[in-house]
Amino acid sequence: MIEIHNLTKRFEDIRAVDEVSVTIKEKTVFGLIGTNGAGKSTVLRMIAGVIKPDEGTVAVDNMPVYDNVEAKKRLFFIADEPYFFANANAGTMERYYSGIYEAFDRVEFYKYLEKFNLDKNRKIGTFSKGMKKQLALLLGICSHTKYILCDETFDGLDPVMRQGIKSIFAKEMEERGLTPVIASHNLRELEDICDHVGLLHKGGVLLSKDLEDMKCSIQKVQCVFANVEDELKALNGLEILKKEQRGSLSTITVRSTREEVEARFATVDTIFYEVLPLSLEEIFISETEVAGYDIKKLILG
Amino acid sequence: MTSKSSFWGSCKENHKRRIWVWIVAVLSQLLVYGGMTMIYLSRIKGFYAQGTYINQKEFKQAMYQAARDALAFSDNIYPVVLVLAAIIGMQGFSYLFDRRKVDLYHSVPVSKNKRFAVVYVNGLFMYLVANLSGLILGMVLAAAQGAVNGEVLAEAGLAFIWNLCFFLVFYHLMILAVMLTGNRFVTAALFLLFALYELMISSMAESLKGMFFKTYSPYYLKDKPILSVGYDYVMNIWEIKNMPDAAAAARMAMPLAAKWIGIAVVLLFLCRYAYGKRPSETAGKAIAYRFLEPVIKVAAAIPVAFLVGRMVYDASYQNEMLLVAGMLAGGLLFCAAVEVIYDFDIRSIFKHLISGGVALVGILAIFCCYKWDLFGYDDYVPAQNKVESIAISADGYYDNYWDEDQHYIEKNEFEMEHMFLTDTSPVLALAEAAKQAGDPEEMEDDRYVQILYRLQSGRQKARCIRVDYDDPETEKLLNQIFCMDAYKKGVFQGLTDERLLEGVSKIYYTNGPAKATIPVEEAGRLLDAWAKDMEQFDFSLVRHNRPCGSFAFEYKSFSQRRFLVYDSFENTISALKDLGAYYPMQLDAADIESVTVTCYHNELSQNPEAQFNGDPGYALYKEAVAGAADTWDAEYTDYTVSETFYKEEEIAQILPHLYCNWIDAPWSRYRDLDENYSVEVVFKRDSSYPYERDSYYFDYSIYAGKVPEFVVEATAFSGE
Repeated sequence: MIEIHNLTKRFEDIRAVDEVSVTIKEKTVFGLIGTNGAGKSTVLRMIAGVIKPDEGTVAVDNMPVYDNVEAKKRLFFIADEPYFFANANAGTMERYYSGIYEAFDRVEFYKYLEKFNLDKNRKIGTFSKGMKKQLALLLGICSHTKYILCDETFDGLDPVMRQGIKSIFAKEMEERGLTPVIASHNLRELEDICDHVGLLHKGGVLLSKDLEDMKCSIQKVQCVFANVEDELKALNGLEILKKEQRGSLSTITVRSTREEVEARFATVDTIFYEVLPLSLEEIFISETEVAGYDIKKLILG
Repeated sequence: MTSKSSFWGSCKENHKRRIWVWIVAVLSQLLVYGGMTMIYLSRIKGFYAQGTYINQKEFKQAMYQAARDALAFSDNIYPVVLVLAAIIGMQGFSYLFDRRKVDLYHSVPVSKNKRFAVVYVNGLFMYLVANLSGLILGMVLAAAQGAVNGEVLAEAGLAFIWNLCFFLVFYHLMILAVMLTGNRFVTAALFLLFALYELMISSMAESLKGMFFKTYSPYYLKDKPILSVGYDYVMNIWEIKNMPDAAAAARMAMPLAAKWIGIAVVLLFLCRYAYGKRPSETAGKAIAYRFLEPVIKVAAAIPVAFLVGRMVYDASYQNEMLLVAGMLAGGLLFCAAVEVIYDFDIRSIFKHLISGGVALVGILAIFCCYKWDLFGYDDYVPAQNKVESIAISADGYYDNYWDEDQHYIEKNEFEMEHMFLTDTSPVLALAEAAKQAGDPEEMEDDRYVQILYRLQSGRQKARCIRVDYDDPETEKLLNQIFCMDAYKKGVFQGLTDERLLEGVSKIYYTNGPAKATIPVEEAGRLLDAWAKDMEQFDFSLVRHNRPCGSFAFEYKSFSQRRFLVYDSFENTISALKDLGAYYPMQLDAADIESVTVTCYHNELSQNPEAQFNGDPGYALYKEAVAGAADTWDAEYTDYTVSETFYKEEEIAQILPHLYCNWIDAPWSRYRDLDENYSVEVVFKRDSSYPYERDSYYFDYSIYAGKVPEFVVEATAFSGE
């Protein structure tokens, strides 16, 4: 488990990370979402032990990570622009990492290289941006660390590759309890991969929740009420996060379980009602709008 | 950066990423050592082919010497070592400048200690391998030509250690510069600043003292850098490489190498400390530590500002206002430039005005301290109870001195090593009197007296005072000083150096024209007599008398030691007479063919402002050269008049008043001799007087006020 407590980092006058507290559980895919400059990379770099927090702590399996070799042995950090040695090929990088990470699986690495159509003898400098990210991910996966920290690593990967990596993640999570931490500025990139999401904004955490919990606790209802009294009766006591009215059609987002909403609407006279599934994007819009933020501006662009 | 689990495995992995540095290091050393060896030996062979060497033995020695010059202590190697240290130091740790690299290297499970050690050791190893490769190549080339012997090997070994120590200092200095900065340009600038800073500051201090302190003189003590290894190297390499053997070279080189190792160790500690503390996020920034930005700016601005001010000062013919203006402008511009460099943004030119202001205030404060002598430098005369001993050098006497290894040393060095006046009161009284003395320009005979105070505390302070040799009180104090044994021993090496009699190849006595040879076995007797006569030596003796001659010992090494003889030196003169070598200063007219007296008529040319009516020169010139008045210039008109006298009776009247210019007269009064006249004496070819036949004439001066009337008349200016 990675425990981040009151993490703060300033770069001169800028408070890049401001009292962030998040817990990343094992065997989950943790998504760290935020706009450019929200502090995602800084948080990841502090988790990786690259930079030292000004305040707060990062503990990896109860070990402080900064300048701690034992803690770092459990982490593999893929930066937003991963660095490869000059004139190196995949083999060169494998030799480097296999020397550093004791559990590095060379056989698996070359198997994956073949699977992903990456030439082990080709200079990495001639790789596309996406190929470099694939290679970095494969190096990270094959290092067999408990945690893999990916900074914007999935951005730009084509859907097939994303699916391939997802499958590997799933396999590794099941086989050895891999815990990927994925930072991205694009919510849609993480929707289908993360179990838990933390939303960073202006250095602080806006929310941090399990996706499943969020999906279960927020419902969107489209309905046409027969009259105003029934509408008031149906909505009375519900935590309404958002309500839109187009003619007689109401679209209401409420914090409640599906069962509770259906039970409530069944007791009132409606011409039409339907409980609709929410996308991750919609959940975030609802959650952050409650907090006074317009997530469309923050993440979706 | 680091790869294999083991340290050496990590080193091996690290080397793979430093291939180009390997190539540069090894190639540079192979080229330098191999090239120098071939060039030097080839040159000696060329000389041999031309017949420069008398025999095979001499040629062989020259070959050994050439090999030593190429492979041992050489003034050609240090720039290469310096550049290599800078390149290896910067390249090894320059990953810190790149965020992508930092993200990789600092996230992997490798401890800081190991990462630092791997890069550091690899850099050192790189230099060692490159340097040894070059040396081995040079040795092989030299050996193949028969130019290697034990001495060459020993000195090359010593030079290897010496160069390694030199490398370590600059290697560490560059690593420290990398740790404190975030990009290559600023690193290189900081490295240069580190390397040159002490030299800059000491030059600035020395320059300011010279400009504003009346009593400052670098004669005894100079503001030289203590920790500047580059300065040490450059100032000593020539002397070390010219030492007679490896043991002598080691005696001089190894203490310096030990000092450098000390400096290198301190720097290494700072490097490691800074590496541990360096925030990873500073990659790409100018300075890694924010608190250092103003410190570096202010520290660098002060000497740079002074340098600019000094250039303006010199260009403006020493205008102090322009010096201040130049310093302030230089400081201001430098601070602005530093801010632009820090931010890589021209708009930052006016940022951090407070630190810029501190720099300017600092510059002005330093100027004021020196300009108005706020710390009383010129008034300094130590209390007598605080002075252990004194060395003093009164202007007027110069001699050659040799150290224990028979190497020439300067007079000030000899005095510092051999003069210890423990009776300090006359010197302190002289210094106190100099403080009270008026304008030196108004003194009858204004002279400099250098004083070195050795204080009880172990410190040394030096001052240069100006005294009037014609002042009776000064003469009295100088007499007290000059007659001290400690003073004489510090000035006249002949009184103390027991090896003076060893290796004497020739002794002669001269009064100017005559040169009488004395058997070398008489050296001891002569020296004893002279030493006995020196007991009467004091300031008044040398002030009011001129030597009547001097005798000299010549050595096989072609060096020479000279001993002045005065008329009152009865023991010496008696010994010389016994040896048939004494010739008085006064010549016999019967031996002289002619005496040519030249009068310069300085009285006519010394007042160039009065070019017109009333100037006697002008009047005479106008009278002689009618119509050419508009081209006349007193300063450039030649008034010289020469007259040659052949008659014996005229010569006889002139000779008693002549003094041979070939004999120095230390501390004597300049004006005792008439500087308006010079005299050339020509001996008769058939004279039995033992004058030096190589010379056609001998230069003399006439004592002031003793010029015979007929000579004055004969050399009067007539305008022709």
